[in-house]
Amino acid sequence: MVEGVDVLELGIGADQRRRLFKFADARGEVIALVGERTVPVARLVAGKLRGSALPLRLCYAGPVLSTDEGRFHQRRETYQVGAELVGAPGTVADAEVIALAARCLQASGVQRYQVDVGHAEFFHGIMDAVKLPDEVKSAVRVALTARDFVALESLLEKTPLRSAEHELLLRFPALRGGSEILQAAGGLVRNRRSERALAELAEVLQLLVAHGLGDVVSLDLGAIRDFDYYTGIIFEGYGPDIGRPVAQGGRYDALLARFGRPAPATGFVVQLDLVWEMLTRSARPPALPRIDAAVAWSGSGLKAGLRLGSTLRLFGMRAVVDTQARDQAESKTWWRAVGAVNLLHCMNDSTVAWTAVGQRTRRLPPEQVAGRLAGGIA
Amino acid sequence: VTAHKTLAGKVSIAVPTGALMPGALRLLARAGLARLTGEELGRQLLVDRSGVRVILVRPADVPAYVDHGAADLGIVGKDILWETPGAHYELVDLGFGACQMVLAVPIASRLNGPETWPPQLRVATKYPRTAAAWFEARGQAVEVVPLHGSVELAPQVGLVDAIVDLTATGRTLKENRLRVTATLGASTARLIANQASLKTRTDAVQAAVGRLREAVAK
Repeated sequence: MVEGVDVLELGIGADQRRRLFKFADARGEVIALVGERTVPVARLVAGKLRGSALPLRLCYAGPVLSTDEGRFHQRRETYQVGAELVGAPGTVADAEVIALAARCLQASGVQRYQVDVGHAEFFHGIMDAVKLPDEVKSAVRVALTARDFVALESLLEKTPLRSAEHELLLRFPALRGGSEILQAAGGLVRNRRSERALAELAEVLQLLVAHGLGDVVSLDLGAIRDFDYYTGIIFEGYGPDIGRPVAQGGRYDALLARFGRPAPATGFVVQLDLVWEMLTRSARPPALPRIDAAVAWSGSGLKAGLRLGSTLRLFGMRAVVDTQARDQAESKTWWRAVGAVNLLHCMNDSTVAWTAVGQRTRRLPPEQVAGRLAGGIA
Repeated sequence: VTAHKTLAGKVSIAVPTGALMPGALRLLARAGLARLTGEELGRQLLVDRSGVRVILVRPADVPAYVDHGAADLGIVGKDILWETPGAHYELVDLGFGACQMVLAVPIASRLNGPETWPPQLRVATKYPRTAAAWFEARGQAVEVVPLHGSVELAPQVGLVDAIVDLTATGRTLKENRLRVTATLGASTARLIANQASLKTRTDAVQAAVGRLREAVAK
């Protein structure tokens, strides 16, 4: 939850640094609340897990904090789930992580999602190859990362040399599609870095088809991300009617070296708050988990009720035991309020009145009720 | 299902009220996207046409609608974008609505170039972020007084030394006995797009962008 700012600074950009909650400890060291969890994972791999053989597959789930209120009254505490594959280079590892991210979105219950895959090196290759004075080049970089294509166009207009790279930069927002986009781009780039990136994208696309994700994956050569951080394959997950990516990830082979254990790495994060927003907006919003048994009691039935509740929980059922005695009529009202599947009314040590939704009440000994419920017999 | 939900296959465009509205509506008509009068849109705020939904919002709210995905596209002045940067794509300079963001002082003021600025300058503006960033880039300490209207009045009554404001013709400045000492930037109407709309409904959104781009070039 808490990290030294000097440690975090090794792994995050100035913009993210500004958004950290920072404070001083008793010795005057500046520390911060975690704003993201990849850097803590990198520190873990280079520190406590130094002796563990690579590759390592690590995951996390938890809150991150940001001072940024945002324009949408975003919460300052948001929840992230993520995974990192450290120590594995190559496209098989890239595809593994993308597939895991896609399966996470699928498991969350969103009805429709898509994953766009791009490559940081495609951009770096173009920037190497494009013939521009250095100061214009850095302005181009700024305009592109700000997604300001009006500024980009006017910067490139002023340069006499027009090349295929110029055209590619201007068409960045539209470089999206299936495998056909690789051929189209391949015909335009004339530099090693971009060509290698296109070859890797072709491999990853094939691997993702083998993972069974051909329907949800697209290529996006114009993906704009933090190009100082990402070194290879990058990707973003989108869902219906959410204006921002719900999952983001990619390869960051340079980060671990900054913590003293050089290793290739790739990973992703899912923004749980955005997933929740999608689910609650969908036609079938998620329901709270159903309670299997509401255990009521009257007379001397409390002890039998507590035993019955424990037994059912041992078998993985959700059971709630009433906090007060109720007669049978009152217990039915309570049962409906709880919304449980079964009402188990313990009348004494040896008799349970069992009512299931849509069925009439039966009287049985508690062991038989537990046995039948645990065995899935109504 | 929320009301702002974008409709499958339909592209929604946020159009600003005020000075840019006539130009925006002319452009939508020229692009063949929607033929609408100002009165019609002003009365309904949300108009559905085949393939397009047009929504009318306050100029400063256009980026919020687009960044949140409530609109796929937005027409908005560059002055607003300086003030509210976001994750949207700025795609096309639409050419109309030209004006300048200027630093202006009372005609009688001794203030002129940077060498005449006091150690701490007091500036009133409707664009606090833009003003602060501009002075910071020049190493000038500045106290920005954010105002919501009639900014021209502030230096005349001694509230501030100067103002940062948008001007098209310079007439309002002249009427208020102010003169321009620096230009912070030139603004025109821009077409912006939601980042997810470009990725999730690429064909429909890119088609609309293409038609608007052609209409500008005409």
